Amino acid sequence: MTSHKPHRDTIFLEEAEILSHEAYAGEQYILRVQAPLCAERALPGSFVHIQCDRSKPLRRPISIMRASAKQGWVDFLYKAVGEGTRLLAQRKKGELLSMLGPIGVPFKLNPERSIPLLIGGGVGMPPMIFIAETLAGNPAYKPMVILGSEVPFPFKPQPSSILVPEMPEGVIASMPLLDDWHIPSRLASLQGFPGCHEGYVTDLARHWLSELSMEARTQVEIFSCGPHPMLEGVAKLAAEFDLPCQVSLEEFMACGVGGCAGCVVEVETATGPAMKRVCVDGPVFDSRTVFPS
Amino acid sequence: MTTTSDSPLAVDFCGLRFNTPLVLLSGCVGFGEEYTRVAGFSNRDAGAICLKGTTGAARLGNTPHRIYETPEGMLNAIGLQNPGVDKVVREILPTLDFTETRFIANVSGSTIEEYEEVTRRFDDSPIDAIEINISCPNVKEGGVAFGNDPAMSARVVEACRKLTNKPLITKLSPNQTDIAANARGCIEAGTDAFAVINTLMGMAIDIESRTPIIGNNQGGLSGPAIKPVALLKVHQVYQVCRDHGIPIIGQGGITTAEDALEFLIAGATAVGIGTALFYDPLICGKINRGITAYLERHGLQSVQQLTGTLALNSPRPARTCC
Repeated sequence: MTSHKPHRDTIFLEEAEILSHEAYAGEQYILRVQAPLCAERALPGSFVHIQCDRSKPLRRPISIMRASAKQGWVDFLYKAVGEGTRLLAQRKKGELLSMLGPIGVPFKLNPERSIPLLIGGGVGMPPMIFIAETLAGNPAYKPMVILGSEVPFPFKPQPSSILVPEMPEGVIASMPLLDDWHIPSRLASLQGFPGCHEGYVTDLARHWLSELSMEARTQVEIFSCGPHPMLEGVAKLAAEFDLPCQVSLEEFMACGVGGCAGCVVEVETATGPAMKRVCVDGPVFDSRTVFPS
Repeated sequence: MTTTSDSPLAVDFCGLRFNTPLVLLSGCVGFGEEYTRVAGFSNRDAGAICLKGTTGAARLGNTPHRIYETPEGMLNAIGLQNPGVDKVVREILPTLDFTETRFIANVSGSTIEEYEEVTRRFDDSPIDAIEINISCPNVKEGGVAFGNDPAMSARVVEACRKLTNKPLITKLSPNQTDIAANARGCIEAGTDAFAVINTLMGMAIDIESRTPIIGNNQGGLSGPAIKPVALLKVHQVYQVCRDHGIPIIGQGGITTAEDALEFLIAGATAVGIGTALFYDPLICGKINRGITAYLERHGLQSVQQLTGTLALNSPRPARTCC
């Protein structure tokens, strides 16, 4: 009776061993775990539901930044913002984490749009990095990545080796990993970090879009993840340039598999407003449904 | 109560055979398919599944945040989000595999007429039983407003009773003075069984913004924090039910086989699993195995032999302190 139910057995519960767990400024952490079932199936936009500690058994949703199907590891970037993630930050290499994943509807690349603009803010950067990695070496797409942070970036920014003429003069700082993948990136912050655009990611994205040729602009699709006000700004930007835009959302979450309707977000549908579950209806939504203009 | 001899875990519940005493609780498992996304989870590990609370018309539910973890538990205020009974009966029930487990509808409403309408629709459906939710703490009308008033509770049960011969399970609120008195009234009104308890009303506050964390301002508390309260309520309701042969689904904070056994001993025939699924989606198999091991260790042939075996005021066995 299960053959006609494709949703069945798509999420895996694993005792994931912590392979590395590194702290960065601003209570940011990069965590790598061994979780082969999740790693094999993870897609950009997928997240996992992690039990941070036995003393706080309700799981916390965390976006996947990278996954190696071959080696079976999954990477995350998270910020310790509450009791659960602070307990997670204390977990050490070699310990096991109960992990449910991969979960969620991923970002969908459109072959008709060859220029994905990836905009990530804070701990919204990981899904953008995941999309970028899947596009590395793919000649059909020419992505541009814009990342923003108000705490030091959890990597050492360096002047990019990839020229982007549409960027403002002096905005040269990039994420080295993306440079290694030959994917152009630029950084934004209000903190005055060297080589970064001093302003919001949306300001930098607007500048870049404005400098593109009309023809190139018709090829752009925006993908974004970050704080809610940033996503609202990104949605407005997309509307301004009449570009399709997919955003990844977060909300307090209990089950993570669609059972409790605890993590909903209100969206506009053809039949009026509806409450959609971030866990299995999302976390990726069309920005126009979440932020109707 | 008849005993089912084929499996030590099987129970007879209002004439329905449950494969195990575990019942997955309404509001935790959507409309019965959601948890099957998890590899290793099977609806067959549960004796029955209570579907999401269903009303006459579709409801959007409450504003986020809807859930928040608290010490040994969590608050929720979903607000009965559901697509309405018509869609549930016409589009969702036909997709369920009734050979896997028993499916129980959860009927909710703002008026007695709405409870009647929803019950009537489910009566004319393949659903195995109907749970009357007169204890939802997260809606402005109906729900616990009915459940905390014994006369009103009985009126809702009486109205639904007239419309169906399917087993009727009344879900009782712990947020009332005398749960036993309410149970008595519901038995007279025709309920076949009880679910004891729904969540306890609670609140959490963000001290920086001085606002409630839950969008609905308040929510229902579930999880291990409420287990002792739930156990006592099951014990109290069982005193009323015992002589009428009315079974109870005991629920509230069960996360282990030991917890489940406590509820059975207190008077439950079946036990509800809710919040524990959020902690461990594969918990049912573990609890079933733990109960089986207990039965073997105590030389019992059926889990049904445990119901209501609590010996009050008896000499205590020696127990190591702490």
